[in-house]
Amino acid sequence: MNKPAASDQKVLLSVRNLTIQVPVGNGTCNLVDDVSFDIMESEVFALVGESGSGKSLTMMAVLGLLPLPLRMTQGTIVLRGQELTELDFNGMRQVRGKKMAIVFQDPMTALNPVIRVGKQVDEAIRLHNPGLSAKQIRARGIELFRQVGIPNPEQRYDQFPNEFSGGMRQRVVIAIAMANEPDLLIADEPTTALDVTIQAQVMDVLREVRERTGAAMILISHDLGLVAEHADRIGVLYSGSLVETGTTEQVFGAPQHPYTAGLIASLPRVDQKVDRLYSIPGFVPAPDKRPKGCAFSTRCEMSRDRDACTHARPTLRSMPEGRHSACHYAEETESWAKAQAAARVVLDEVDDSALRQAAEPILSVQDLQKEFDVSRGFLGRRAKMKALRGISFDILKGRTLGLVGESGCGKSTLARVLLRLMEASGGQVMLNGKPLLTMQGSALRSARRNLQVVFQDPYSSLDPRMTVHDIIAEPMRIHDCYDAARVNELLAHVGLGPEALLRRPGQFSGGQRQRIAIARALALQPDVLILDEAVSALDVSIQAQVINLLRDLQAEFGLTYVFISHDLSVVRHISDDVAVMYLGRIIEYGSVREVFENPEHPYTQALLSAIPRHHVPEAERGERILLAGDLPNPLSPPSGCAFRSRCRHAVASCAQSEPELIERTRPHHQSACLRAEELSNPAKLAS
Amino acid sequence: MLSRLSFSGYFALLMLVLTLLFIFGVTMLPSYDPYGQNLAAGLLPPGGSSFDGRYYLLGTDQLGRDMLSRLALAGQVSFAIGAGAVMVSLVIGVTLGLIAGYFRGPVEMVIMGLADLQLSIPRILLLIVMAAILGPSPWMLAVILGITSWVAYGRVARGMALSLREREFVLAARAQGSTATWNIRKHLLPNVLPQMMIVGSYEFGQIVVMEASLSYLGLGVQPPLPSWGMMVSEGQTYLELAPYLAVLPSIALFVLVASLQFLSQAFTSENDSVDLPERIKG
Repeated sequence: MNKPAASDQKVLLSVRNLTIQVPVGNGTCNLVDDVSFDIMESEVFALVGESGSGKSLTMMAVLGLLPLPLRMTQGTIVLRGQELTELDFNGMRQVRGKKMAIVFQDPMTALNPVIRVGKQVDEAIRLHNPGLSAKQIRARGIELFRQVGIPNPEQRYDQFPNEFSGGMRQRVVIAIAMANEPDLLIADEPTTALDVTIQAQVMDVLREVRERTGAAMILISHDLGLVAEHADRIGVLYSGSLVETGTTEQVFGAPQHPYTAGLIASLPRVDQKVDRLYSIPGFVPAPDKRPKGCAFSTRCEMSRDRDACTHARPTLRSMPEGRHSACHYAEETESWAKAQAAARVVLDEVDDSALRQAAEPILSVQDLQKEFDVSRGFLGRRAKMKALRGISFDILKGRTLGLVGESGCGKSTLARVLLRLMEASGGQVMLNGKPLLTMQGSALRSARRNLQVVFQDPYSSLDPRMTVHDIIAEPMRIHDCYDAARVNELLAHVGLGPEALLRRPGQFSGGQRQRIAIARALALQPDVLILDEAVSALDVSIQAQVINLLRDLQAEFGLTYVFISHDLSVVRHISDDVAVMYLGRIIEYGSVREVFENPEHPYTQALLSAIPRHHVPEAERGERILLAGDLPNPLSPPSGCAFRSRCRHAVASCAQSEPELIERTRPHHQSACLRAEELSNPAKLAS
Repeated sequence: MLSRLSFSGYFALLMLVLTLLFIFGVTMLPSYDPYGQNLAAGLLPPGGSSFDGRYYLLGTDQLGRDMLSRLALAGQVSFAIGAGAVMVSLVIGVTLGLIAGYFRGPVEMVIMGLADLQLSIPRILLLIVMAAILGPSPWMLAVILGITSWVAYGRVARGMALSLREREFVLAARAQGSTATWNIRKHLLPNVLPQMMIVGSYEFGQIVVMEASLSYLGLGVQPPLPSWGMMVSEGQTYLELAPYLAVLPSIALFVLVASLQFLSQAFTSENDSVDLPERIKG
């Protein structure tokens, strides 16, 4: 396949027919299959795909770092005219770090915890500049620290990684990657492990350092929103093959492959609520079990039954405007995607917050407190960490409360306190009109039947040694009401066949495991389900399936959800009410439409502005609010308003007392900001 | 990947079966009396024949006893003591370790304090005292050796329980109203058992050697009943003259321990997703 580059730009990296194999049994299996793409000088090229699509392997191959037993069996990788696959180890070493550098996903493991961060930067500089003196290297390192926005670089240079927050560590990793001003920066999920507001900071740093040196970047990500905002061109990988390439606007505006179209359609949007999300059926096939013909054919709703799709493997072919697509019927994608979008009903949200006041809540939380004893320092001086402070909310039967916040805001602690997995330090929780926190013994046991939980990690939430049948039956066995027929029924409710019953969790994908966890949570017919980041670990297409399932189950059984998430788009889609948490407190609370459309608290405003809006043209996206700094240390929060230290609207009075969570401008919409009235009205603020 | 693991698993299983067949089979076949002395035919090398024309496949020891049948009989004794002791220590260690790791707090402090206390006393001293009190029958030996070696299991089980108790499937069960006993029995125990078997296979070798040390002091298996450990220590005296006396039981012990170890490892990695704590990884 030959792919002409846009004529006015020079090709920096050219990958052709890259194939990566792994031995399976007696044969081999292609994990990456005939992938070709070009990267131009100074551009950001995004490789997008779900887990198992081969996006990280492709980059490992480019760096020459494929782990055994994987082998690159075919293909060429040319960087500025130099063929990389023919280089020996020493030749490759000259390229790595100097011409190409990588930023890994997890800043917590990318740095060596026992070496000062400065030394780790020095090392990167020294490798390719053996002539520099120690003093010069240090000066260069500190300069790099300054460039990536680390405050007090001289002092921080001699600190250890554990003295840095996640966002700051990622800056150090970027400094190391940029140490020798590489031509190509490979960023492998650079912000996936970070919070939304920190994510925005890090992407900003990446953009700045690239602009300074003119480096091109390969952005590997599963996050379509992030890609939409930061990439110039996109390559979409599915099951080891490139299925579509094009500029960001082209791909998001009018996708030419049904997989891309499906992925985009399955993203919830923050500006509207639809009756159900589009979800790509099924799941990504294992590399050795790809269907004949088009690998996507079994999941494709556009052309699954046509002969060409099930028999002939489509190759990436040129489309108008320099685009490429690997679909036999690429030309039909646009109209299909439009029809899909039209089929979705945008829900008309009525403001029913008045109802909230009138009816009897099924779960009512009042002034909930949780403190942890933390010993600090050598002498074990005791300190109290206030993880939850004065949490109050009500949920009506059959409704969903979204709990939003960054890591460390206390949302998971709240879930555990509600589940009585941790004891509260104060406050009251009424479940069905009965006080939950003071219950003991058999009363507690029976109350627990009404309050169940689905956790985030589908790999840790199922006992690997139990069969699916035993997992779903466990709650019934605990309560002596085991019924084999009920297990089958539950499995059917979550969309799995009875053949799953005797298998163990190891044989299921993340989405299927999460369905099993949901079936287990429903076993005792609970009234309230706490969903603690229940869809956060899932791939986009699977996430939409599980969200739809949750909504169906809610409609069918009248379930009440407490939906804890850091993903505001998902919360917008699934919730009726929303509470935004910051440092252990709710700082804004109201109906989801109220809070999302008229945010009063500057923190909520910042969170909302940080959501990538792939569906809005770049010009109309509005101002991006970048929050400065990290979450304050919860052991010594700022006086007065806890958000004051990061708030761009903070005034002197913010430091005096903590603002209460009360209605400030509109009925049934509470916020904890002194300046809520001005801030919710931009015109007033300007004057 | 799976097929490769199964291969080493099958190989280990084969070796184990062959070893056990040897141990229990030889004494059933028409062979020489393991106790029968033939002083005229002492220290015959393997394959040697005595003056009266008797053929010894594995030679004879210093008293002219047939090594083949002694090796088998000693194998029975060592296997019984090793298996018995491992069983006793595994039950004690896993129970205490899981309880300590699941409940934390004062319970953990008492149990782990006990473990440290026991480790601070030389094991041989404990063994001597207990053996002197309880007497040296093979079964008593198994119990004594078991009681003094639970700490290895206890520590690993506690370590794993510490992480397992925070795993979400245990939290989910607690949220459903399960009791501590339920969680320990249904979730913790099945997840630590494979690792305990690995620890057990390491310990098995240790126990057999430990039994030999006791025999040295006259507190182990009483002669003329042989054990592998005892044969090794007796054979040491003749290491230059007749190396096979110590080498043969050593090989037998090695094969048994190695096959047990490989088997438990293959068993673990085939249907496992709970990680071993770093420090006991091979």
